[in-house]
Amino acid sequence: MRILKKTFVVGIVLAMTLSFAFANGATEAPVATNAKTELVWAVWDINSTAYYKPIIDAYQAKTPNVTIRMVDLGSADFMTALQTQLASGSSEFDVVTIKDIPGYNNLVKKNMIVNLNDYIAKDKVNTKLYGGTAEQITVGGNLYALPFRSDFWVLFYNKALFDKAGVPYPTNDLTFAQYDALARKMTSGSGAEKVYGCHYHTWRSCVQLFGILDGKHTIVQPPYDYLKPYYEMVLAEQNDGICQKLATLKASSIHYSGQFQNGSIAMMNMGSWYIATQIQKVAKGEAEASKSWGIVKYPHADGIAPGTTLGTITSLSISQGSKKKDAAWDFVKFVTSSDCAAVIAKTGTLPAIMSDAVVNEISAMPGFPADANSKDALHVTKAYLEMPLNDKAGQIETVLNQCHDEIMTYNITVDAGLKKMSEQVQKIIDAK
Amino acid sequence: MSSRKAIIKKNLVAYSFIAPNFIGFALFTLVPMIFAFILAFLDWDGSPYNPMHFVGFKNFVDLADDGQFTAAFRNTLVYTVQTVPFTLVTSLLLALLLNQKCKGRNFFRTVSFFPYVASMVAVTAVWNMLFNPGMGPVNELLRKLGVENPPGWSADKDWAMTTIVQFSVWKYMGYYMILYLAGLQGINPELYEAANLDGCNGWQRFWNVTVPQLSATTFFVVVMLVIQCFKVYDIVYMVTQGGPGTATLVMVYDIYNKAFVYSSFGAASAEAIVLFALVLGVTLVQFRGQHKLEA
Repeated sequence: MRILKKTFVVGIVLAMTLSFAFANGATEAPVATNAKTELVWAVWDINSTAYYKPIIDAYQAKTPNVTIRMVDLGSADFMTALQTQLASGSSEFDVVTIKDIPGYNNLVKKNMIVNLNDYIAKDKVNTKLYGGTAEQITVGGNLYALPFRSDFWVLFYNKALFDKAGVPYPTNDLTFAQYDALARKMTSGSGAEKVYGCHYHTWRSCVQLFGILDGKHTIVQPPYDYLKPYYEMVLAEQNDGICQKLATLKASSIHYSGQFQNGSIAMMNMGSWYIATQIQKVAKGEAEASKSWGIVKYPHADGIAPGTTLGTITSLSISQGSKKKDAAWDFVKFVTSSDCAAVIAKTGTLPAIMSDAVVNEISAMPGFPADANSKDALHVTKAYLEMPLNDKAGQIETVLNQCHDEIMTYNITVDAGLKKMSEQVQKIIDAK
Repeated sequence: MSSRKAIIKKNLVAYSFIAPNFIGFALFTLVPMIFAFILAFLDWDGSPYNPMHFVGFKNFVDLADDGQFTAAFRNTLVYTVQTVPFTLVTSLLLALLLNQKCKGRNFFRTVSFFPYVASMVAVTAVWNMLFNPGMGPVNELLRKLGVENPPGWSADKDWAMTTIVQFSVWKYMGYYMILYLAGLQGINPELYEAANLDGCNGWQRFWNVTVPQLSATTFFVVVMLVIQCFKVYDIVYMVTQGGPGTATLVMVYDIYNKAFVYSSFGAASAEAIVLFALVLGVTLVQFRGQHKLEA
């Protein structure tokens, strides 16, 4: 009996120790059979993004012996999660999507993405097609990513609400003063019936970046006194109930899409990536209150040409640890080509290669607003990058976010807040 | 078998039982800790392709000048100084209450313990909804009661820390209540009888019998609470994200930012060492104090 007990105990201990060997995660990449190659693509929000599947289908039709497997790292901390995944030098990812410039800068510094110059030269890729965006992500003469999406900010508005209030729609030539007046005119009601004239999502870019549209400053250049009129405009709107307060939005984690879709906002400044989402929601019947909507060009300061707006690029890179770099390059080359630009445009998303044909494609798609102004809004006069390439972008961004929060929640006056921002960012820039 | 062989065999058996746990501890805790100590004296951006540079004490010197670090250090201390006494008193009171024989005692004990085991994400989402400065029920109630400017809770830099402390006390009190309950049930009832015979009232019984008998439990509770408070991150991340501004930025949050947002693993490790030294210092002081008490 004692021997039986002993054997039993030893057996359990052995089993527990050996279980270490089998404690792999469930995601084992399938073994490549014959010539079939599988590329792993790091993305975010697979379920709510319209263009992943069409791109993959188009590529696999062209190159049948390659399959693409997507891994969703979530949109909230995508670049941080990606950096952590790539930090081990793992070969898990082949193609990675670059969501923002500070994250791109980090990956370049850490040598985690491949320098594409040789590939570009060998295959004679014409980077001029990307309308200047490729130049903006070139680091020391080297290009580490190719843009496949380029978005810019526009003003979304709910036509039904304007019709109901008997107010003419916003035009493609709105100064900030006119935009503010229009928002105030459109605010009405209270409680459940309340309509807000405008809406600022919790990102600092929704308010701060009004200030860089005159081209005289970038957001990484203190002093920030030039932001004062914009903060004052938005704070006055918060005070007067023209838009929702940042404090409320943050505490309830309210997403801008829900607010626009349920018809409680007349106008909303947001990026063009939202066009495809809005079209999808209306098509599914989930946005009845906003099914009559349009876009116009971003508001502009006096003396600045209409069509001047903020821009942001989404690009593709190849992971340094990938064991299938050539196959990955073939995929990247396809997604950033003019052929694929058409595929992307069909889903209502703006590709990096914006030609007249692409603009027509997008404005002709079912669900896109039919009025001439909306189509015209797709033409950008000049786009300024939300955040330029900068080594200290991460630290600067933290300070910008903190001060933005403090100003918008009335914890500090605008003057004191901008002074604090300027001093702290200057300190970061001066530090070695 | 000779006795020496028997001893060796006994030791081997003992080690083989400790081995799985120790190997796991060594691989996943001990080695990373030692690496972190070394990293604090290096400059590294976390990339396997980039070299590490030795910079001596530079990371520590830079911390002294770092606005984010000073805010985080101050906030962590303030948070600890507020949370520890409140949690201690609340859990002791709860334990005293729920040690009496009353109807539904088990139900109330479960209800008090529930916040500790509930999912952090779910609970903070509901908490934020309840305490929403604009539309939340708490502020609505306060307005109805005549308070003209109810606090801005997590959005107000003067109230954000209080909000975090409130949340922490509510979340932790169940666990420490259980510890106190165990302590209370270990008190010899004869001591209470003796106190009654001497004519003590309830308050005197509490101060002269209960509290001294609970000193070992209180010591344990305080040490655990202090360590837990210095390490706080998830509560801050979920409720206020360190804001508004730096009002609730705590040390672990700043360490995360330094490592994963700014890619300065050396600076992050230096701050981690400072946190480690702080917690170690406070704990040693507490142990000394307890020895003096017991002597």
